[in-house]
Amino acid sequence: MKKFYLFGICCLFIAQYVKAQQSAGSVISVNFQQATIQTVVADIESKSNYHFYYDAAQFDSLKVTLQATDKTVPAILDLAFNGTDFHYALNGQQVFLTKGKILQTTLAPGFFGIKATPGVPVAAVNTVSAFVSEGDKIIPEATTENKLYEIGVKTNTIQTGRATLSGYIRDIKSGEAVTGASIYITAQKTGVATDQYGYFTISLPKGRHLLSIRGVGMRDTRRQIILYSDGKIIIEMMEQVTSLKEVKISADKVANVRSVELGVTRLDIKSIKQVPTVFGEADILRVVLTLPGVQSVGEASTGFNVRGGSADQNLILLNDATIYNPSHFFGFFSAFNPDIVKGVELYKSSIPEKFGGRVSSILDVTDREGNKKKFAGSAGIGLITSRFNIEGPIIKDKTSFIFGARGTYSDWLLKLLPGAYKNSQASFYDFNLDISHQIDDKNNIYITSYISRDKFKLNSDTSYSYSNRNVNIKWKHNFNNKLFGLFLAGSDRYQYDIASFDNPVNAYKLKFDINQTNFKSDFTYYLNTSNTITFGLNSIYYKLHPGSYGPNDPKSLALPDVVPAQQALESALYLGDKYDVNDDLSVSFGVRYSLYNFLGPQSVNNYAPGTPRSSTSLIDSTNYSSGKIIKTYGGPEIRLSARYNLGDNLSIKGGYNTLRQYIHLLSNTTAIAPTDVWQLSNPNIKPQYGDQVSLGIYKNLKSNTIETSVEVYYKRLKDYLDYRSGATLVLNHHIETDVINTRGKAYGVEFMIRKNTGSANGWISYAYSRTFLKQDDPNVGQPVNGGSFYPANYDKPHSFNFVGNYRFTHRFSLSLNVTYSTGRPITLPTGKYYYAGSERVYYSDRNAYRIPDYFRSDFSMNIDGNHKVHQLTHNSFTIGVYNLTGRQNAYSTYFTQEAGVITGYKLSIFAKPIPFINYNIRF
Amino acid sequence: MKGRNICICILGLGAAVAGCRKTYAPQVVSSGNTLLVVEGVIDPGSDSTFIKLSHTVKISDTTKVAAEKGATLTVEGNGLSVPLTELRPGVYACPPLNADATQKYRLRVKLSNGKEYLSDDEEAKVTPPIDTITYEPTFRGLKISASAHDPSGKTRYYRWDYDEDWRFNAKFFSSYKVVNGVIFPRTPADLRFSCFSSHASTVVVLGSSVKLAQDVISDQPILTIDSTSEKISIRYSILLKQYALSKAAFGFYENIKKNTEQLGSIFDAQPSEIAGNVHSTTNPAEPVIGYVSVCTVQSKRIFIDKTELPAKWITKYPYDCRQDTTWFSNPITGAPEVKAFILTNLTLPTQEIAGVGTALLGYYRTDFICGDCTLRGTQKRPVFWKDK
Repeated sequence: MKKFYLFGICCLFIAQYVKAQQSAGSVISVNFQQATIQTVVADIESKSNYHFYYDAAQFDSLKVTLQATDKTVPAILDLAFNGTDFHYALNGQQVFLTKGKILQTTLAPGFFGIKATPGVPVAAVNTVSAFVSEGDKIIPEATTENKLYEIGVKTNTIQTGRATLSGYIRDIKSGEAVTGASIYITAQKTGVATDQYGYFTISLPKGRHLLSIRGVGMRDTRRQIILYSDGKIIIEMMEQVTSLKEVKISADKVANVRSVELGVTRLDIKSIKQVPTVFGEADILRVVLTLPGVQSVGEASTGFNVRGGSADQNLILLNDATIYNPSHFFGFFSAFNPDIVKGVELYKSSIPEKFGGRVSSILDVTDREGNKKKFAGSAGIGLITSRFNIEGPIIKDKTSFIFGARGTYSDWLLKLLPGAYKNSQASFYDFNLDISHQIDDKNNIYITSYISRDKFKLNSDTSYSYSNRNVNIKWKHNFNNKLFGLFLAGSDRYQYDIASFDNPVNAYKLKFDINQTNFKSDFTYYLNTSNTITFGLNSIYYKLHPGSYGPNDPKSLALPDVVPAQQALESALYLGDKYDVNDDLSVSFGVRYSLYNFLGPQSVNNYAPGTPRSSTSLIDSTNYSSGKIIKTYGGPEIRLSARYNLGDNLSIKGGYNTLRQYIHLLSNTTAIAPTDVWQLSNPNIKPQYGDQVSLGIYKNLKSNTIETSVEVYYKRLKDYLDYRSGATLVLNHHIETDVINTRGKAYGVEFMIRKNTGSANGWISYAYSRTFLKQDDPNVGQPVNGGSFYPANYDKPHSFNFVGNYRFTHRFSLSLNVTYSTGRPITLPTGKYYYAGSERVYYSDRNAYRIPDYFRSDFSMNIDGNHKVHQLTHNSFTIGVYNLTGRQNAYSTYFTQEAGVITGYKLSIFAKPIPFINYNIRF
Repeated sequence: MKGRNICICILGLGAAVAGCRKTYAPQVVSSGNTLLVVEGVIDPGSDSTFIKLSHTVKISDTTKVAAEKGATLTVEGNGLSVPLTELRPGVYACPPLNADATQKYRLRVKLSNGKEYLSDDEEAKVTPPIDTITYEPTFRGLKISASAHDPSGKTRYYRWDYDEDWRFNAKFFSSYKVVNGVIFPRTPADLRFSCFSSHASTVVVLGSSVKLAQDVISDQPILTIDSTSEKISIRYSILLKQYALSKAAFGFYENIKKNTEQLGSIFDAQPSEIAGNVHSTTNPAEPVIGYVSVCTVQSKRIFIDKTELPAKWITKYPYDCRQDTTWFSNPITGAPEVKAFILTNLTLPTQEIAGVGTALLGYYRTDFICGDCTLRGTQKRPVFWKDK
């Protein structure tokens, strides 16, 4: 519209130019006494050929008292407006009256290639350059590379100073926001990345710029802009169809070197999908495990360990909802549907101040937004699972949904087994439903929900089931070009139950659940070109039912036993600033003040001070009424990181973090069992505290196609909860007597080389890392290993990973994955004896020995159907072999007595090469 | 979280991709120190008290029981001080105490090397009687269960052990024997066909009623006998012994069970040691293995006959057994087989091979283990044995 106006005015100017010269000389006489503008205009128009254009409302304060004889109209107007804020402009016979600004009726000097006369100041006062206010303007949709887009309020000359460009990047095909796309202005050596919702803001000098835009899985593109003043732009990007299987880890080729953060890895679903997995279905957690610094205790275990932290010290978020159990089917599958997920970010070291509540890492998984333009979907068929998703617009270009479902049909597999396992059952399903709605260009609403359920029964009469349930609503609001806000309200639940049926007398049901209600508000404020400020307030209300046990049959004698519910409120206020000191030095500094209130109703046990907590040192208990604050913990958490560029492609970074964790997972097994219990901090159980210092060197080679990094870290953990020998963790009314505050230390060095582009791509990582725990609580009767340091279950000093992909053609690629690690620590028997009719073993110090080293290689072929755009469905196959060499890796070792004699066994799963096939269809 | 080695059951593309289990003998540095092991129950009632003393050995050792000989043991408490005598190496016993079953008792152990140990004072527990022992065929075999109850509600923690006895037959009936190189027909007293065998329990069986409204043990599984087992091929008997435990003793036995009877899943609790109730009087830090409980013992015996079990259950003889013909002179080769295989006591003659008329041509022969049950059992009929 603006362009149309300008064009129209231009034509008028040229057509009437000649006339104006003729009438400019005629004179009139006027006499005004406190005249309104209407009177003045009517009088002049009656005495001359001039026509006036003005906004009467703007002139209601003007009263003209003037007597003039034989003056030209311009001279009269000069007198009338002298000393006021009103101005006029002449264009032939037309007079434009304005308030505050002068309308420029001539083209800018140099418009037709004529140089401006030197020494003549141009536009010394404010000039009006547009006829429409910015609010009515349509934000340009910049779709082509070769066009010059004008941003902001156009002026004849480029003014000095800076302006803020904010924008939104979306996929041209689906209308979905492009997360983590980088906008880089080479000439300015500056850049920015889009946030989770596709928005970005950058401050630039006014003038012409070339924006280079790179997005994960998107075709690189450029936009030319002229930035006149603060303004907005929408950029549409095309999907990179030709490189479906390209590994992309980081959105930004220079991010590795240029970002302030350390130990942050971003993976997009395409790179996740090409890593071979045991059943052929893409698995986010398996790929995360190939990153340096990430370990797991075993092949089919739930959870992962980051830089020496335990599995419960990772905050796993799916669209900002906390997932307490990220695994399905004994850990063979992860809880995230690969067809819905867009990408994942793992924070190992620099944890943004907006996150908190766990002391090791944050794994942030984000779903895609549904296609806003057309309906689409996909389906995948695997050996024991299938999945389906559909997405599409509800209101075109405004509202979209995406729905995903997965399920198993594995019981047939278990039925094929020999007698001992015949009666086993295992199944799971999960559903995702996300809706996003764009109210206007300042407001977006996102609703995300997730539900999963696992059920299994292993050859016994006991059945287990667990479930995650999450829902949240987010409102993203752009207050202005510089201030963004995100508000979230949501609810997360994790529950499990164990039930026994066969013997009616003993039939029981055991239930556990944890519920949290979340509220979050996060703000980002682009203060100026060198400061980006983030601040916000988060709070979580926990309601945890630690266990309720009761009869499951009318005949059952099971005595109901309920451990009372626990309540707590965890709140945090944070403020952070990313400050670019100069081109080479950037600092990110944040403080998060977290506060935890353990709330009533509750009965809290009191123990004799200075003695080991046990049933004998229990003095009494205090009852607190509902809502009463029983205990408050809290303190500041520091998030600090800095980057210094040593050259264009080389930088060093350092960071220091402290974190607090108020919720604990109690487990006495090597891996997390689906039935372990979570426990809130209370007067007898202190929150966990961790801090980490890390340092890294980053270098990009071969024009940023190869990224290398080395990071070292040292980490301390305080008040991590370990368990006593023979501890009972389920249905324990005084859990504090069975757990021990443990101290931990972890250190290591991580190397990574990755190549993100080209037909050969992938990464190689190596980490040397150690983790030790120590029970130095003086109130512990018999500390493990006599109170000295012992290696944690997941202490694997050496680990090496290779993930590679070679694309032969656009439709055919090969992937290879190689993993090596030192065996995990185990406790081995040092002696044996005869007791109760059999040989028995006497165990050594905890974790004094190791299982044999782990080595595995997997291979897969990805075959795509043809890439013709217009066809009903697009097909692809993944065929591969898991554990190519068939190495019998030890899953566990154990000593058991058979017919009274002790024998040691090494158990391997996936002890042979396992072929798999997966068929995917997209429509 | 037992039995989670589901892994064995993962298939790929229809081809079984089974997990595998291999024996594992890691190099463990043994400390060289041996620990004292005390096992037994002080029975304040009308049964004898047996205490076994041994010590730990290296994992690689072949010694089964390293008996601790020549120690001096005394049961103390309530003014009593009753010495035990060593019946066999490492096995000490005293006659029934018939003491006050409401008092506390303890065991004092003095080793031959002068070290002294003392068990904690334990309150005597009165074990309630076993109500029933039931058995039922399941797809996994014959499941034997026990039920008990304590109306006073004081027992709550139970332990069982058992002795099994059974009658079994050799695979083949041997009608002949060889004495000094001469073949004689067997007399009824010489028959080696039917025997008895016995076995003591090797697993810890524990049960608890703490989570129930009443102190009731209902159909606690004791053991499951494989449907093809020779134990139930003719007639089987089990003597079940029941012990009441304290909570601490229950924890000790549970830990022993966890440490040596678990299945090796990473969802199993990690192994750890729990101290018993025996301590060195001179060095409290010295670990001693064992829990000396004080309780009366209840026992009950049942018999199970093959006729009560499903007819389709077929016993699998534990050895691969065949009969071969053995000729005085092989009709084809002329080899003197009886002389070579039977008279040399290499194999056992079972039945005769008669030719046309009454001419004896040779014998059927089999391995001794297939025709002589005394190699695996005894023909002495247990005193308690009752035939159907």
